[in-house]
Amino acid sequence: MVVADAGTIIFRVRGGLELTCQLDNADGSHVQQALSRAFKSLSSRVRSESLVFSVSNSSVFIWPNKAVHIIPEEVTEDTPCRDIQQHIQVDENESSKRSSKKKDKKSPTTSVINIDLMMEVTGPAPLAAASLSRVNRKHHFVRMTLPVDCAALVQKDDSIGAVSGRLVGALCDQLTDMEKVVLQHSKGTSLLVPQPFHFLLPEPAGLVTVVYPAGVPDSQLESVRKDLHRRFELPDDRPYLRRANAFHFPDEPYKDGYLRNPHTALNHPSMEDAKPYLVQGVYSYHHYMQDRMDDNGWGCAYRSLQTICSWFQQQGYVDRDVPTHREIQQALVDVGDKPAAFVGSRQWIGSIEVQAVLDHLLGVTSKILFVSQGSELPSKGRELANHFQTEGTPIMIGGGVLAHTILGVVWSETTGQIKFLILDPHYTGGEDLQIITDKGWCGWKGPEFWDQNAYYNLCMPQRPKTI
Amino acid sequence: MGRSYIVDELVEKYLVNLKTIDASYITGLLIGQFSPQKDFVVLAARTPPKEKEAGGSSSDGGGMVSSLDDIDVQWVSEHAKQVSHMLPGSLAVLGVFLVHPPELSKEAQNSLRRLIFAVDKRLSKGRLWKLTEDDVPERVMLQICSKTRKAICRTFDVQDPKSSAKPADWKYQAGVSASWQVLQCSVDLDVLFPMAETSSSNLDKCTKDGLQRWANQIETSICLINGKRLPDHFDVTAGQKKNSKAAQSKLQAQILIPTKVGLKADQRSTASVQACKGFLTMKGVMHCRAYIHSNKPRACQAVEAIKRDLMNTVSCRTEMLFEDLFMNEGSSDRGAVSGQQPLPQRVFAPVPGTGFCICDYMFPDESLVDVSERFKEMLDCDILEETIDTTQEAALKQSNIVDNSEECTDNITSEMPTEAPENQRSLQTYVGVAVATGVALLATAASLLYLSD
Repeated sequence: MVVADAGTIIFRVRGGLELTCQLDNADGSHVQQALSRAFKSLSSRVRSESLVFSVSNSSVFIWPNKAVHIIPEEVTEDTPCRDIQQHIQVDENESSKRSSKKKDKKSPTTSVINIDLMMEVTGPAPLAAASLSRVNRKHHFVRMTLPVDCAALVQKDDSIGAVSGRLVGALCDQLTDMEKVVLQHSKGTSLLVPQPFHFLLPEPAGLVTVVYPAGVPDSQLESVRKDLHRRFELPDDRPYLRRANAFHFPDEPYKDGYLRNPHTALNHPSMEDAKPYLVQGVYSYHHYMQDRMDDNGWGCAYRSLQTICSWFQQQGYVDRDVPTHREIQQALVDVGDKPAAFVGSRQWIGSIEVQAVLDHLLGVTSKILFVSQGSELPSKGRELANHFQTEGTPIMIGGGVLAHTILGVVWSETTGQIKFLILDPHYTGGEDLQIITDKGWCGWKGPEFWDQNAYYNLCMPQRPKTI
Repeated sequence: MGRSYIVDELVEKYLVNLKTIDASYITGLLIGQFSPQKDFVVLAARTPPKEKEAGGSSSDGGGMVSSLDDIDVQWVSEHAKQVSHMLPGSLAVLGVFLVHPPELSKEAQNSLRRLIFAVDKRLSKGRLWKLTEDDVPERVMLQICSKTRKAICRTFDVQDPKSSAKPADWKYQAGVSASWQVLQCSVDLDVLFPMAETSSSNLDKCTKDGLQRWANQIETSICLINGKRLPDHFDVTAGQKKNSKAAQSKLQAQILIPTKVGLKADQRSTASVQACKGFLTMKGVMHCRAYIHSNKPRACQAVEAIKRDLMNTVSCRTEMLFEDLFMNEGSSDRGAVSGQQPLPQRVFAPVPGTGFCICDYMFPDESLVDVSERFKEMLDCDILEETIDTTQEAALKQSNIVDNSEECTDNITSEMPTEAPENQRSLQTYVGVAVATGVALLATAASLLYLSD
């Protein structure tokens, strides 16, 4: 995913600041004052000369509040931050995985420079005698580690001194935001941990960070999001700020192992007077044999459905995980579409069943488009183009004996020429982007791809109007 | 192939001059630095005589001792513990020596073995840091026949209870510590220990828990040497001018503590809340020091030495404070002390003829004379008061005894206690305290916490 132009770098500083405070009672204003004091003390630590930025995987250490003192000596506060990358030792395992040439050509990933927050405990401080003090006071001792996480999008030529200053400012701002959130959700002496999330919003907002209280589900934070949508001038009918919408940093691998948006590694087919209309957002590629489930020969529609479910989860519409084959079958039994014996069987499903499951498990409605002959599909170019423009969801298409996922079209309004971007669930290999794109398991197909005589049903999921 | 010990000639001189007049045998400690290939012995200190000459002596002058069974193992161990408080980073008790009459030479090895294991056990107690694979497990025993002056040197592996004596090499050399470098720093401390509202047995645990938590942070910290992060195997003597008559090379350490959040799985969604009856705060600046030997010293060893010195100085000071309070409380009617208690100030003194300093801790009511006397008692070192450096740390000038539970500020002047018992911190008192360590620590922690009102 391209974040911004190649002239930018993301600096991300993370750490855990320990907040402690003594609460004599659970009275609201007392709690507020005690917390305020505790946050103020953390703020002054962040602005102190003891704060150190350690650039991950390097020997560069920055003291942003000490007239920007930096080691090693060859790095000064005026050094452009792109030079910092030279000091970073890339993990060899990581760089060999990204061997796909196509990927590098198509989308240069924006680099991320990670910084770990540290505190120096030594220093030429005025000598203060050591002592042990005791305070006798019945109280509730509160302790929590604030997971601070600040990110800044900077120009490659910005000086490291300026960037460090910005990050310190961002840390202080985040502490203020965290204080607000903790107070808002405090109940007596019970306090929720504030967690920062980064979101890449359409310009001019850009990369923003929002603090949400841990443990409070998205469904209960709708009013917070409404305010933010207003503030950032975001449309009020699609989610941008749910936790699932959080920005995925280019340097962090997805832990579940599925490939994301393999289609971005491909080049659009060149066609006269035509435009691409593609799926929006992020989906995972689900196919045969994954999750130790041998569904070779019968599970293709299930996999296409899983791909669609993954889209709704990652765009923040639903919290639930992608359903398993069994859960899909159970859902169909639950809505009365199939008998109980269906669960555990290897029976195919079609577009209608996919529509039913999306409705029952995810609360998502879908339009069904019927095409009596495969040869007629090209004539649906306008509808498909519109779908990708407005809804932007992956389409499940079933017909003949096969099911596929359509991720987009290249269509010419004038000539009617069309090509289909297909994600094929029949692939049985491993998550190798090179093979998947080279062999066309994710690829552009012409109208001849379809069985010209068979009829097809397309399940076109609609985005719920919600934030 | 056994371990090699490079021993300073001053130690040889010391051992040679030890006279077995009052006692037929003399035990003592061997002090120096471990290193992967060989160990360096730079100081030897005889076990201080007990006030009552019990066992192992002929107080009437004359009459031979029949066995070494009455060596007071606890006494020797406690001496080792007190000595370890006087050793800056990287210096440690490497082993034990025994000067014995010829007829007891057969028992000597066994006695030394007992002593070595007992000393190691005593020194391991209360340690805030863990031993690693790089730590040398061998300890040395040196038995010297008082008549022939013949010395036998062996080692035992203290991590193996069944360890048998292995031969070792004992070589004398001049100026073993002459070109040692010193690594130092001043650490700003601010540690909070919540005191839970439970029975006394948990108070001890609270400080221990709090200190262990703090020590774990130090163990994971990054240490810069002279402003640089050196690779682990970097030879720290690189760049040091050889044969220079210049002042000892001083290296500055900087300790950076990571503030990592930890694994996502461990993250809580709520703050941890503990009902407490009070809290302790430990604040102030402590000076830490470690000596780097000159035989291919690696940066990682130097870093470990300074970190351990920091952890040792913190744990031993709090221990001393608790013990001191316990003794004070026992001997006066003042009742529980409260408010702000000064932790003892660390002072350093160069050992004549060597390249390192020993250290000691001074309470506000003590003087340099006390320090000098302790150096003599514990390390058998003659240190002139004027050579004792008190400038590395600040000290609270007067002891503060404030009545109330309010937090008090520095520099409160108050009456000095009417009589400071003379040099109450001699080895004898420590043994008495050590016997009831568990109870003592509880009692002091309790007295620190609960006011007499």
